[in-house]
Amino acid sequence: MIELGIFLTLFCLGFFVGSYAEKQHYKSIVEREQKFMHLVTTSSKRPVGDIGAVRKTHLVRGNAVISVDYFKRIIAGLRAIVGGNVSSYETLLDRSRREAILRLKESCPSASQIINLRIETSSVFKGAKDQTGSVEILAYGTAIYAEK
Amino acid sequence: MIITNTEEVTGKKIVKCLGVVSGSTVRAKHVGRDIMAGLKNIVGGELRGYTELLTEARDEAMERMQSQATQLGANAVVNVRFSTSSVAAGASEIYIYGTAVVIE
Amino acid sequence: MEYQPGLPEHNDNISHKHPLMEFALLLGGLSVVAFVVYLLLGLAVDLVAEHISPEQELQWFKRNSVDVIASSMLDHGGEAKRIDSALFQGLKQCLDVDYPLQLWLVKSEKVNALAVPGDDVFVYQGLVDAVQSENGLAFVLAHEIAHFQQRDHLKGIGRGLILASLMAVVGMGDAAALANPAAALSQAQYSQSRESSADAKALQALACHYGHVGGATELFDALLKQEGKFAEFGHYFATHPKTQARIEQIHTWAQSRGYGFKETNPLSTFDGI
Repeated sequence: MIELGIFLTLFCLGFFVGSYAEKQHYKSIVEREQKFMHLVTTSSKRPVGDIGAVRKTHLVRGNAVISVDYFKRIIAGLRAIVGGNVSSYETLLDRSRREAILRLKESCPSASQIINLRIETSSVFKGAKDQTGSVEILAYGTAIYAEK
Repeated sequence: MIITNTEEVTGKKIVKCLGVVSGSTVRAKHVGRDIMAGLKNIVGGELRGYTELLTEARDEAMERMQSQATQLGANAVVNVRFSTSSVAAGASEIYIYGTAVVIE
Repeated sequence: MEYQPGLPEHNDNISHKHPLMEFALLLGGLSVVAFVVYLLLGLAVDLVAEHISPEQELQWFKRNSVDVIASSMLDHGGEAKRIDSALFQGLKQCLDVDYPLQLWLVKSEKVNALAVPGDDVFVYQGLVDAVQSENGLAFVLAHEIAHFQQRDHLKGIGRGLILASLMAVVGMGDAAALANPAAALSQAQYSQSRESSADAKALQALACHYGHVGGATELFDALLKQEGKFAEFGHYFATHPKTQARIEQIHTWAQSRGYGFKETNPLSTFDGI
């Protein structure tokens, strides 16, 4: 009985607070993506176009650890029984990736280009019964600054 | 759409670079498969269920990446990389990313 | 090569279905499947349990050193012996149970009685003290014999096993928070229906043995006084029906079958070891 009560409380809390936080996060992601849209980013090893002499290059990175709420974890738990797309974890990964890339860009706002962008994923925290609720995304690349 | 994991598309010239695009998906197999895989672990060998799972997941992630590239107006994605991770017990996450470009 | 930045208008990397919708679909589908599986396996267990003969049962559930916690009623002499040899045997005859059953007295203040696989019926000292008359005790004994007759003790074990294995599959990880109460609920509902049926048989046995059903509700009356007003909601999860409802049910049965409530036989107190 008490168990059920705790469950329902966490469930509702997870749903309402979780969805609100997610909405806010997406809003901020979209805003910042607009802002940094013009910073040239590529997964190629060579810079885009001809940028002439390069003044400075250095390694840049950005990471984010994001956790999924209780409600989505329950859905994922049920989904794991029947199989298929675990859509409740998709937003978790989408958010953390975009956040990590944004942080990478924010660390070098004056760079001309970011090349050789790589993205790594790892689950950082194994909770009770091996259930993972959070992932770490690391984005790294090389920032190059043009001479002029 | 041309998808390569090389810097450029051999024999074609890249005219425009459109930025990084990506596709991802998280998938799980049903419990029966998980149990069978657990049993198979005793004797070893290919876990067909999981091979299938990851293949399907990659196909879907690839489609999603292509859809992003199409939305940006690209006709090729170069320098594509795959990454796989396990997010929850029995579920796998596939992430594919590359640079969307326009080739002539 | 020029750089022409852009952001995709539509995010394909996430699902745009409403999460509550997905939750409802998953939960509904899984519940239906689990319910059907439990129902079918439960019926299979009932069928198997009906076909386990008492001899087979005794062979499988051979008791080991019960003596540590309980003593045989026959060893007590006096009133206890009379209860065992006359009353208990008489009730068995009334219920058409012809295989041997052992009656044990447990030295504990708890108000309880159990039918255990094998051939054992346990009565707690606390229960003997709680009933006022021999008839009250007879109702409890008949109730436990009825469990043997209905093979409830075996069915209970079988269903417990099924639930445990279902839970092992469904209740992994966080979904356990949902599966646990559901399992408890289904177990309780089944158990309550068996208890009710055992009550009906016990009433019948009482009427057969004494010619009337006086004292049938004695134990429940005592329990009701103890409970007070607690556990109004919790009884959905209880293995036994609500005490008040059981008393009312007994009165309804007695009325419809024409059983009278007459003077009860006195019970002189007796103690365990």
